[in-house]
Amino acid sequence: MLRNLLKTYSVRVYFRIRQFSSVQSKAAEGALSTKSEYNLLDTRTIPNDDTIDSKDLEPEPSVLEPCNEDISYVAPYLRPSFNFAAYVNKSETLQKLVQLGVELYKLEKNPDVPPYLLQLDFEKDIKNHIIFLTDLGLETADLGWLITKNPFIFKEDLDNLQVRINYLKFKKFNDEMILRIVQDNPHWLGFSTQEIDKKLGFFQKNFGLTGNEVRSLTVKKPRLITYNLNHVKLNTFVIREEMGFTPDETKQILLQKPKIFMKNQKGMLKTFEYLHKEMNIPLETIAKMPQVLTCREFRLQQRYLFLKHLGKIQFDPKQPNYISLIALVSDSDAHFATEVAGSSVNAFNEFLKTL
Amino acid sequence: MLIKDAPVIWEGLRSIICVYKPPSVTCERVRKTIIAAVCKGLNEMECRPPVDFVCIEGNPSGKLTVSVKPSLADDPLVVGPRYIHDDLKCSWSNFLGFNTSGVLLLGLGKGTKVAKLIRENRPTRCYRLSGKLGEATDNAFKDGKVVERTTWRHVKLENMNRFLATLQASHQKEMFKSCGIDLQSEEAYKLACQGPIRPANSKLPVIYGIKCVKFEPPEFVIEIQCINEYETYLRSLIHEIGMKLHSSAHCTAIQCIRHSYFTVENALLRKHWTLQDIITNMEQCIQIMDEHENIIRQKSAALQ
Repeated sequence: MLRNLLKTYSVRVYFRIRQFSSVQSKAAEGALSTKSEYNLLDTRTIPNDDTIDSKDLEPEPSVLEPCNEDISYVAPYLRPSFNFAAYVNKSETLQKLVQLGVELYKLEKNPDVPPYLLQLDFEKDIKNHIIFLTDLGLETADLGWLITKNPFIFKEDLDNLQVRINYLKFKKFNDEMILRIVQDNPHWLGFSTQEIDKKLGFFQKNFGLTGNEVRSLTVKKPRLITYNLNHVKLNTFVIREEMGFTPDETKQILLQKPKIFMKNQKGMLKTFEYLHKEMNIPLETIAKMPQVLTCREFRLQQRYLFLKHLGKIQFDPKQPNYISLIALVSDSDAHFATEVAGSSVNAFNEFLKTL
Repeated sequence: MLIKDAPVIWEGLRSIICVYKPPSVTCERVRKTIIAAVCKGLNEMECRPPVDFVCIEGNPSGKLTVSVKPSLADDPLVVGPRYIHDDLKCSWSNFLGFNTSGVLLLGLGKGTKVAKLIRENRPTRCYRLSGKLGEATDNAFKDGKVVERTTWRHVKLENMNRFLATLQASHQKEMFKSCGIDLQSEEAYKLACQGPIRPANSKLPVIYGIKCVKFEPPEFVIEIQCINEYETYLRSLIHEIGMKLHSSAHCTAIQCIRHSYFTVENALLRKHWTLQDIITNMEQCIQIMDEHENIIRQKSAALQ
């Protein structure tokens, strides 16, 4: 990766550095103009004996004469570098981004980002976008996070961004919902309205959602809508075919816990198998409380075995001493041990050390 | 935590910690989790401020202004967090297999040397092995494929104890053979007077004590004190016990309950793997090592 970075830098960095700040570009012009003067001087130091140049007749300024011209900005260009740290003290754009709280070190991981970001000018390319985003209601902390996640947002045209917001308004999302979407999903504004429309349509068609349900899903988990659709399809397959939930239950799970469709299916299947085969929890109960599927297997196992050790397993809501699955997986261990299991944290810790 | 300076804590990472390794997790994963927890904790504390950036501005023929300000090139937002995972050295002094749970000693920072010394001293470890009679699996563990089913009702505790006693006796005989001294010599006699000794070879497993602590057929638990063991060896031991008892058995759990002077009580549970708890645990471990100096420096081949 480093080699790629250096390659891309060295080819274009010469021209890009000139653009990253006005001071720097001035320096570049100055360097060029002074360079040509030096060339003239050089040719004059070795005069040709045979021909008499007309310029030779002009009075020649002595080298010893004091120079009043400011040539302090004549300096070599910055060398190609593999990170932003080399440029940040000289580039105003980068300094502004740091003030916004953008984590530049994270951006270096993608080799396309540094050359792109270095050629931006804050006043010209970034300012208007930031004004646009703050008008939507984003805080400064959100902005830094958003740019860290999606630096290519400055590539999008402002009119396009407005169109994308208008699309959401047209689809009856109110301002709060739009703010939540942009805040939670930094990549949302990078998708065209056609793409977003297609993705929303996919969810509506595949899970049989009504308009309001699509809106509540979008606001609950904006990242799911723009997530890799192949992964969503795979997880739908896992939930419907491998776990055996009906389409209605799948929809219930989607609306209650959309995160399940973004998780890695392997860990989820393990949790499910433990729930269904070891703990004998029926599918309907799991569909009603899909939070349990996001719990990691070892955590579920620890708590279940502790309850079993105490002899307090009772997952039937119609009988006394019922323990809800949500209470089983949520909250800290201290809360679980005292409130749910009716024991103490120390006893629970002792038990964990026998596993 | 009273100390708020991250460099102070960083310098203090010079000993071992004792963690409880959960089953179905590799040692490498435990190591990475611990490193991540320590780095996260350190980065949340007060870290080194950015170095100064000397800036000379103005026309050189006129007057120049020199200003010193914090360098942005050294800002955590630009160069990344102060403590990254690659900075922290961490190594284990006893390797536990994937299915094994229990006491795991990890050397942190300069403590990797301590971990190495402990490893090279070959202290004894105590394991608790749970087995189940009646079924043999292809890898001798519960997650393997069942390859054989047998009856187990004829197996009694006496049979088990008798076999375990012979096993222990044969291992103790082996122990003297592998000590590296001629058995007919005076030295060997003196060594034998001191009690059990440690083997010269680091590859050969030696069992010093083995007994059955729980026998509820078909399930049983045996406790074993040994040196140079490894997970496959312990699993095959259960398999062998099953065969020698004219039945078959597979292992259901392997737990390391003691490593030299470190017991499960000292071990840190997975939910407590935070910088605060790790530092407290490190202090406890230093205390234990101070009480028992021979854990690092050993003088004789006798078992300690």
